Amino acid sequence: MKNERKRTYLLITIPILALFICFNTVPLIKGVIYSFTNYKGFGNYDYIGIQNYIDLFTDARIGKSYLFTFKLAVVSTIVVNVLSLLLALALNSKIRAQGFFRAAYFLPNVLGALVVGYIFNYLFTYIVPAVADMMGAESLSTSILAKESTAWVGIMIVCAWQAIAMNTIIYISGLQTVPEDVYEAGALDGATGWKKFWKLTFPLIIPFFTINMVLCVKNFLMVFDQVMALTKGGPAQSTESISYLIYNNGMSGGQFGFQSANAVMFFVLIVVVSVFQMKISSKKEEQL
Amino acid sequence: MRKIAKSVIAFACSLFLAIPLAGCSKTAEGVTEIEIVQYKPEAAAYFEKVEKAFNEQHKDIHLTIYSPNDAATVLKTRFIREDYPDIIGIGGDINYSYYVDAGILADISDYQGVKEINPAYLAIDEALKIVPVEGVYALPYAANAAGILYNKDLFDQYGWEIPTNWEELMSLCEEIQSDGVLPFYFGFKDIWTCLAPWNAMAVSLSDTDTAKQVNRGETTFSKAYRELAEKYIQILDYGPKNPFAYNYNDACTAFARQEAAMFTIGSYAIPQILSVNPDLNLDSFVLPASESSEGNVLNSGIDLQFYVTAECKNREAAYEVLDFLYQDENIQDYINEQTAIPCKSGEFEISPKLNSMKPYIEEGRMADFHDHYYPSEMAADALLQTYLIKKDTDQFLSNWDKIWPRYNRDIIRAMEKYEEEN
Repeated sequence: MKNERKRTYLLITIPILALFICFNTVPLIKGVIYSFTNYKGFGNYDYIGIQNYIDLFTDARIGKSYLFTFKLAVVSTIVVNVLSLLLALALNSKIRAQGFFRAAYFLPNVLGALVVGYIFNYLFTYIVPAVADMMGAESLSTSILAKESTAWVGIMIVCAWQAIAMNTIIYISGLQTVPEDVYEAGALDGATGWKKFWKLTFPLIIPFFTINMVLCVKNFLMVFDQVMALTKGGPAQSTESISYLIYNNGMSGGQFGFQSANAVMFFVLIVVVSVFQMKISSKKEEQL
Repeated sequence: MRKIAKSVIAFACSLFLAIPLAGCSKTAEGVTEIEIVQYKPEAAAYFEKVEKAFNEQHKDIHLTIYSPNDAATVLKTRFIREDYPDIIGIGGDINYSYYVDAGILADISDYQGVKEINPAYLAIDEALKIVPVEGVYALPYAANAAGILYNKDLFDQYGWEIPTNWEELMSLCEEIQSDGVLPFYFGFKDIWTCLAPWNAMAVSLSDTDTAKQVNRGETTFSKAYRELAEKYIQILDYGPKNPFAYNYNDACTAFARQEAAMFTIGSYAIPQILSVNPDLNLDSFVLPASESSEGNVLNSGIDLQFYVTAECKNREAAYEVLDFLYQDENIQDYINEQTAIPCKSGEFEISPKLNSMKPYIEEGRMADFHDHYYPSEMAADALLQTYLIKKDTDQFLSNWDKIWPRYNRDIIRAMEKYEEEN
């Protein structure tokens, strides 16, 4: 009987496994194969060995896109986690209209990234400069998306604005797992304010912190919609994210093979970053 | 237990079977399905009308026309699946060169309609082939022209005159500026708009086949494009304060609201501008980039042409659809709606807004868009935007020369192979 049951469970996983292989593993392997060709996306192609990978490391545009993407990911992750933790602390305390505020702060997550992008696009191009002009702030009087040095900040703001919602919810649920008696015991030992947060709350919500960090870094490394809606990689190619480049040059352009190589390298990199993050933060987790 | 196991396996198998089946659609018996994918969503309404009219008149052929956004990408994703529409409608750009090279298109030299096409446009298509290939693979439909659109009311009001050479254009800009009007509007946030003035000036300042000359190692872009690059940044001074803040729609809207006297864009922008302000009295002239008025050439290329794919099952039905599309009254409808220039020979009424360009068209003093030879993944438009921001001519041109061979490796190789064999 026991074996029979085991077999049933095994059989249940087969359709899922089949779907996973069909839509995930097979395309992945195909992508790796294409990365060794000069395939344009149609027509004939030749195998060109590791030429694409050599090109990857000598292409200034690719290097620039990796730099931009990592800069954006690191800064956005820090901004999002700090702000959403603060928000979660505020929304978890006993304030008036708590439910309303929680819903309100979750709203950005419900909206599509493209829609949000277009709204912010309008804000950055017309509203912000107009307000800045009225207040005499010279540096903001032209759209920040139009300047090479500041365009990434615009994308960062939109990414953060949207991502904070989900992270806040995760932090709130984390804060609710911290039992009241820990605080009572801490209060007896004189833990208040900052100390209470740093020595009691934070160590206990580290698993949630880990999830948020991994999710954030992964999402921001794959930033696409925001770039598409706000800058389309401009100005002066300063905001071409890796995903944008893979889509744009691999699909619209004729670099299917080359961008497959880029995607393979990007995939490896994301795996490495995620594993590294998990390793680091799992060491720091505290158990009650 | 065994029963459950069996049904689970059956379910899994049926999933696999269902996937390929979903690709086939049923058609009524005796009716041939013809599918067109064309890349101009702004002309979707026109093509819906054509589709309806065609289906009403033909019982044995059913026509479907898709006008998706970003059709080049849509098509590519379909080609990867080896799923080809019967007829494709895109412009005469590098994608067409690739398609011919890849053998996706059918040779339609046996089609009667080819003879009715203006030979000047067939020549443009011939030049776009990466290496000479026997046969006709494209049927030009409509052409566009790029130059300068201007606000006629403002010009009349201040007494400005149409310039005929570069010097006159520069002094005109000074004059407009001193009258307190903004000479140009730009939408350089959308990088492709950086190519519009570039192309319009390039035809007068360098050879159309510059890209091919470079591929053959006969010249460099640093040599061929220097004058063009230097002149291009001069017009920037006469635009809005930060042209990189506005996109194409913003620029069209601003020009339609009379915020600027001129707009360096192609005829394809006219419908959108007029949709914002139908009363705008606009006209156009050729961008006079040359020092002498005789040196100016009109920048005109094929905006839309149709191809029958090699995979098309029923060539006769496809030709019948083409016959319908290329009927004089349908072409006239199209050029009226899109302010386009017909590629078919014959008596057509071209929009009066393109009057100043008419002599150039009749004399054949026109040359194709230079960017039709640039691979899109090289992002020439983004390189131009970078240049307009940094204004470093030497760096821009040497960078262009440096990256060109890398993005054109396969094209150069194909050309070398052809030279060797012939």
